[in-house]
Amino acid sequence: MWELLARSLEASTIFLFAALGELINQRAGVLNVGLEGLMLFGGTAAFITAQATGSYPLGFLAGLAIGGLLGLAHGFFSITLRGDQVVSGMGLWILSFGLTTYLGNPHTGPLGLARITSFFGLSPFFVLGVVLVGIAWFLLFRTTQGLAIRSVGENPAAAEASGISVTAVRYVCVLCGGVLAGLSGAAYTLSYNPVWNYNFLMGWGFVSLALVFFSMWNPWILLAGASLFGIMWQLSLSPELVLPGVLSRYVWRMVPFAITIPILTVISTPWFRRRWGLARPEALGRPYEKS
Amino acid sequence: MPKTLHLPPADPILVARALTKRFPGVLALDHVDVEFQEREIHAILGQNGAGKTTLMNILFGLVQPDEGALFLRGQQVEFRSPHDALAHGIGMVHQTRRLVSAHTVLENIVLGHPRVRGFLNLQSVAPEVEELCNKYGFTVDLAARVWQLPEGERQWVEILKALYRGAQVLILDEPTSALTPPEVKTLLAGLQALVRDQGVTILLVTHKLPIVLAASHRVTVLRSGKVVARVRTGEATEEMLVRHMIGRDIVARTGKRSSEAGPPLLQVDHLSVVNDKGQPALQDVSFSLREGEILGVAGVTGNGQDELAQVLAGLRDAVSGTVRFKDRDVTRLSPLARWRMGMGYVPAERVEVASIAAFSLVENTALNYHFDPAFARRGLLDDAGLEQLTRNIISGYEVKTPTARTRAQHLSGGNLQKLILGRVLSRKPRLLIAHLPTQGLDVEAAAFVRAALLDAKADGAAILLISEDLDEILSLADWVAPIYEGRFGGVLPRAEADIETIGAMMAGLSAKEVRAQ
Amino acid sequence: MRLGRYDVTLEPRTTRPAFYSALTAVGAILLALALASVLFLSAQTPLLDAYRAIFSYAFFNPNGLLATIHRSIYLLLCTYAFLVPLRAGLWNIGLPGQVYAGGIAVFAIPFVFRTQESQTLSLPPVFLILLMVASAAAAGAVVGGFAGVLRARFQVNEILVTMMLNSILFWLVAYMIKEGGPFMSPRGEGESFALPPPLHAPLLWGVPFTAVLALGAAVFLDILFAKTPLGYRIRAFGQNPAAARYGGIIPLALSLFVFLLGGGFAGLAGYHYFAALPGVYKISGNYGYFGDLSFYGIISALIARGSSLGAVPIAVLFAGLSLGARFAQGQLRLPFGVDYALLGLLMMTFVASHVLYQFRVAWRRVPSPTLRPAPTQLPPG
Repeated sequence: MWELLARSLEASTIFLFAALGELINQRAGVLNVGLEGLMLFGGTAAFITAQATGSYPLGFLAGLAIGGLLGLAHGFFSITLRGDQVVSGMGLWILSFGLTTYLGNPHTGPLGLARITSFFGLSPFFVLGVVLVGIAWFLLFRTTQGLAIRSVGENPAAAEASGISVTAVRYVCVLCGGVLAGLSGAAYTLSYNPVWNYNFLMGWGFVSLALVFFSMWNPWILLAGASLFGIMWQLSLSPELVLPGVLSRYVWRMVPFAITIPILTVISTPWFRRRWGLARPEALGRPYEKS
Repeated sequence: MPKTLHLPPADPILVARALTKRFPGVLALDHVDVEFQEREIHAILGQNGAGKTTLMNILFGLVQPDEGALFLRGQQVEFRSPHDALAHGIGMVHQTRRLVSAHTVLENIVLGHPRVRGFLNLQSVAPEVEELCNKYGFTVDLAARVWQLPEGERQWVEILKALYRGAQVLILDEPTSALTPPEVKTLLAGLQALVRDQGVTILLVTHKLPIVLAASHRVTVLRSGKVVARVRTGEATEEMLVRHMIGRDIVARTGKRSSEAGPPLLQVDHLSVVNDKGQPALQDVSFSLREGEILGVAGVTGNGQDELAQVLAGLRDAVSGTVRFKDRDVTRLSPLARWRMGMGYVPAERVEVASIAAFSLVENTALNYHFDPAFARRGLLDDAGLEQLTRNIISGYEVKTPTARTRAQHLSGGNLQKLILGRVLSRKPRLLIAHLPTQGLDVEAAAFVRAALLDAKADGAAILLISEDLDEILSLADWVAPIYEGRFGGVLPRAEADIETIGAMMAGLSAKEVRAQ
Repeated sequence: MRLGRYDVTLEPRTTRPAFYSALTAVGAILLALALASVLFLSAQTPLLDAYRAIFSYAFFNPNGLLATIHRSIYLLLCTYAFLVPLRAGLWNIGLPGQVYAGGIAVFAIPFVFRTQESQTLSLPPVFLILLMVASAAAAGAVVGGFAGVLRARFQVNEILVTMMLNSILFWLVAYMIKEGGPFMSPRGEGESFALPPPLHAPLLWGVPFTAVLALGAAVFLDILFAKTPLGYRIRAFGQNPAAARYGGIIPLALSLFVFLLGGGFAGLAGYHYFAALPGVYKISGNYGYFGDLSFYGIISALIARGSSLGAVPIAVLFAGLSLGARFAQGQLRLPFGVDYALLGLLMMTFVASHVLYQFRVAWRRVPSPTLRPAPTQLPPG
């Protein structure tokens, strides 16, 4: 039972890192729907690097770097070119999906390195995740930089008129988002499930995106949501631990995705939306035009 | 006031020389020279589109000039961003609020302040800010969220914010556009106190002559991107300023004089509507309108006008109450059915709602005709017919455009509004809802629109005119209904409606209370 | 950005000549092929051999040409599945899920009518085939429409919903055809049962009749968008939903319609690939590949900028490229996934070409700052 929980928390960190990064850049008003693409590319880069060099730190570094780079690309298109953020995000996803399938294919199979040590079965990444959540919360709500970020996401014109550079703030946040997405992918391929397969995320990136919406852009609620999803996911992988013999394992695999839909719907009802709508960064997804 | 004021001789504190700025397709500023002296209220007067906002944006660092130079206290300066301008003591309060409405007053005031860094200790800064407020005589609750404040107080928050940053020069862009008459009085008195007691220099950007004459020491008039006049306010008259603003005398347009009002057309009873945040926007509104009548709803934006226009057009549901049009209960009727029944709606947002920027003018015409059987034959849209109709509108409403197939985004504001009005009126609606029809238009276009409304009225249409411009309402309407926080203060016949009464009712007093004063 | 004495900026284009669309499309494709060269070079393959292998197989080899035609039909239908909601400003990335739904619906018919094994059919085959086509389209439409309703009624992000549905339907197919699922082949090889010969799709000159459906769709959509009131409403809604609502268009009905139509096309694509391809006529174990292939539909629709006729040559080209790349991969021993890499590169170049389409580079000479003494006298106003 403890193993199931530990494994669930490990799964939840994958969601958590990516969603936390996305939360930060959404707080600054930039929407990245291609989160899954950044995770895929970061994970693939990390896997290949670690396998080639035999070094975990280098692998993680590669994952972070690629994630950051793609995040900056998204930033360039969305912030400097003021393009449609959904187009850019979708583009990055398909780009990553296509290229990683090609680049990663020769490396299909196990990583071949010794597993990263865990404390009593609990992955070190979960601890890192909780620490990052705390840092993110403190940054956003207890520092002037955080006030600046949140203001940029609510009303960029107000921030600009206060002497804050909207461009600089958004670039920094989108870089953070990218780096954390890369970390998430790297954590998947190097720690959680160190076997490379094409499209290894199978939709997790989009679930992370949904988690950001669920969390009402609050890092602590995000932690709770990610943990719940981790548990649900792990259960869907091994349903026999809880409900042996009931339904094919394929049906169980559908469950986490199926549950997301009604939750998304509930938070969109007018009643919920009023409370949620107040938490939503008002300028989310809208390009900022200096005038 | 200006006539008797004696200005001490002072050096110019802020000077601009040969400022020039080009945007794609338009020369916004053409070698503009301006000079502002310390401790004065200097008005920048000009029509919409004359270049006032561009000039102010350059002074505040939001926009960089293509040519020219700025001098602050004799030293040449360059502002690459508002950050630089603020560092040099120049603050700006924009026409549209630049506040984060979800945050508190205190958070807004300290946002971006260079001294408040790192750890956000709001508690330590609060007393300082409070002291500042008292010094300037403003009472505002620092812990209140901005979205809870009325418009007048929000503006004070922005002014405070600039002062907290140490602004010596304060630029105010159309500060009175969203204020009730009593709030305007308070603002002007406060500005004069700032100049007199604290030595602040104020640049007042506006197109409203009464404000200029009442509050400023000197005026610079802009027209089509050039400076055309610099006068002391004490030596200026309204006619002189108008002539400078538009370059000649206005062609007086009078619409057809209408006959008497006809049978009742629109009956609204106890209508209540909520806004997007779930708060009541319209409360228990009742009125009726007959053919050939204009009802002017006078009020500052944000008191329920949006919701009123939307609920009548079918774009918003009513919580309670009924709307009867042509003796039919239309409260739940869809927007399309209302168009078919003879309602017409000219929204306030001409670019965001009333037209489609990327579509051609002909395709924009289709926006009000795509459901019309006269323009759809055998399942296909009658493109030739729509083009002909568009051409008629273009010539009838004097819309300046290269062709009928030009995209709507290439039309100027005035021409776009004329096109939209022409399109809606071409359907010969029995009821026209006109929401801020002349907002942002230059004097000529505004006059054209008003004449067109009078023509429609003469043809027997009932018009609901929602406007912030009291002069416009008083010149066009048969009935005046001041609106405040979603309620009509009353529905007064034109003869009983004067500026003071209406102004007081726009600020919340009921008709009885006003008469009692 | 300053370069020496010039100020370089990106300015939005105000006029866009009509041929610009085609120009940027061609540019994007050529650029992607050029970038693909990098992949070939890195795999130590002579470039000319690689391209010759790809194009000759795709378009000049009888088997390859037929395969290209078959794939073109599939991609064209997928393109329309994405294109219709795109014109309304909505993103239907649920193509794989809708294709899978179509496939399941197709095989449900013989399953229900118990004709999967017997040679004699209780109902005339034409009737059954029509039923299969209709149910495939309906299934795709329902799955798409579900996302459309959620989007219109509750403003739930359609990207998230369709991605969730993709995963759900993927696993549903797995359940159906593997490990004892209802549609599993009697040989138990992790694929579905094969369609009996009477239920194979009729062929016209060796090509399934779905070709007619796809080309018919091209013409139908072109007329719809250019000339009908409904097409106008879709386009208006896609450009400016608030203005469309103002003009009387009902968002719920419109969103639902475009997703139903789009989903229907994807369902038909599923029928085509799982029930109409000569030599296949089953849901194979690697059905996920076809789901992934449907993403080419997204690229085609984007590069064609929503033009349904323009999508035809693009879909044919991509069909040939992806098939040829697969073939070249085998023949030239390239790593697996060249077709996937090409997909990714095309997306990248499309975004780049989109930027060029919308913006132009503007050079402006920066005037030398004139240092004047502090001014004393104003010119008379």
